[in-house]
Amino acid sequence: MSNPDDLTPAERRALEALARERAPRPELEDRVVAALQRGGLLPIPLALRVGRRHLRPWLVGAVAASLALFAGGFAAGQYFGARSGAAAALSGMQASRGSAAQVAAHAERIGTLYVEALAALNQLNDSTDAATRTKARQVALTALGAVAGEVAHLAPDDPLAAAVLRGLNERSEEQRPAPSTRSVVWF
Amino acid sequence: MNSGAAPDLTAERDRQLAERVLEGDEAAFRRLYRRHTPRLYQLALRLLAGDETEAEDVVQDTWIKVVEKLDGFRWESELSTWLHAIALNVSREALRRRGNRREVEWPEDDEPAGAQPLERLEPVDLERAIASLPAGYRTVLVLHDVEGHTHERIAEQLGVTPGTTKSQLFRARRAVRALLAPDNDGRAS
Repeated sequence: MSNPDDLTPAERRALEALARERAPRPELEDRVVAALQRGGLLPIPLALRVGRRHLRPWLVGAVAASLALFAGGFAAGQYFGARSGAAAALSGMQASRGSAAQVAAHAERIGTLYVEALAALNQLNDSTDAATRTKARQVALTALGAVAGEVAHLAPDDPLAAAVLRGLNERSEEQRPAPSTRSVVWF
Repeated sequence: MNSGAAPDLTAERDRQLAERVLEGDEAAFRRLYRRHTPRLYQLALRLLAGDETEAEDVVQDTWIKVVEKLDGFRWESELSTWLHAIALNVSREALRRRGNRREVEWPEDDEPAGAQPLERLEPVDLERAIASLPAGYRTVLVLHDVEGHTHERIAEQLGVTPGTTKSQLFRARRAVRALLAPDNDGRAS
């Protein structure tokens, strides 16, 4: 061999014999499609949209539960006002079978209370423990995502809702837990 | 080797599918995905030293970026070339996030010992040795010796000079030989 830094025939053969393709787990395809749909890059199939309509009471309930848990668990002394207001607004919204205007008014009131709650949280920098703040942030982002999802449902072409969903999706991807090191064993 | 017409047909088919994807055609996306993902996944898997979870994440993030930017793709190169460039960038981001916690680094002033050219070599041993390399060496060796890219192209993709990639390839090959030498210190196992 003229140059010891060149590949030997055996090395070249071994390199050429390495696989150039490998199929991932089949579930990955659906995962990627779902991620594209969440990001507004592929449309949500009609069947899923219909399903979402049936899920809407559940979604409202989930957001309500998150809000109630947050309001109930956080800095009780400073939070009773918002808590009682939120509870009343939620119960009004859940009981409401009235006009769209009434439901919209309830939604606006709940949203205002929620923003006020987060503002109060920001004023408690020193007295609030990190775990509570983390939980509050997660609840806030969950609600934000749910709201953006509903806006996207109401107006599928709304760019702001799509941007929020895409941003939250990217954030969740970035914060995915460290991989469990499911490695290929090269034997 | 492929005939001249085959890549053109593939490119044309990719373009048709991509146009349908831009119109929101999920089935077209799935066809595009199935056509290109096995190569993307293998590349990511190799760059990430066999970590299947991270490689799947890279594939997902690659497709998201591709579909996001698909409207602006000018079809001056093959879709697969563009896909691989994005997958490489996403893999490197994953490696940066991973940091050095799972890497074995060769000291700059410590040339790998036992770096004799190998006259007998099994692909499985080679694969394992590549996975044991530091990420920088591994990336250059995979792109050059496995994927067949030129130093100029690798340098452009990595944002370094061709001289740097040549130097890294030289060291990577020596490291692989050292790892596969009978008296190596076990770093490949």
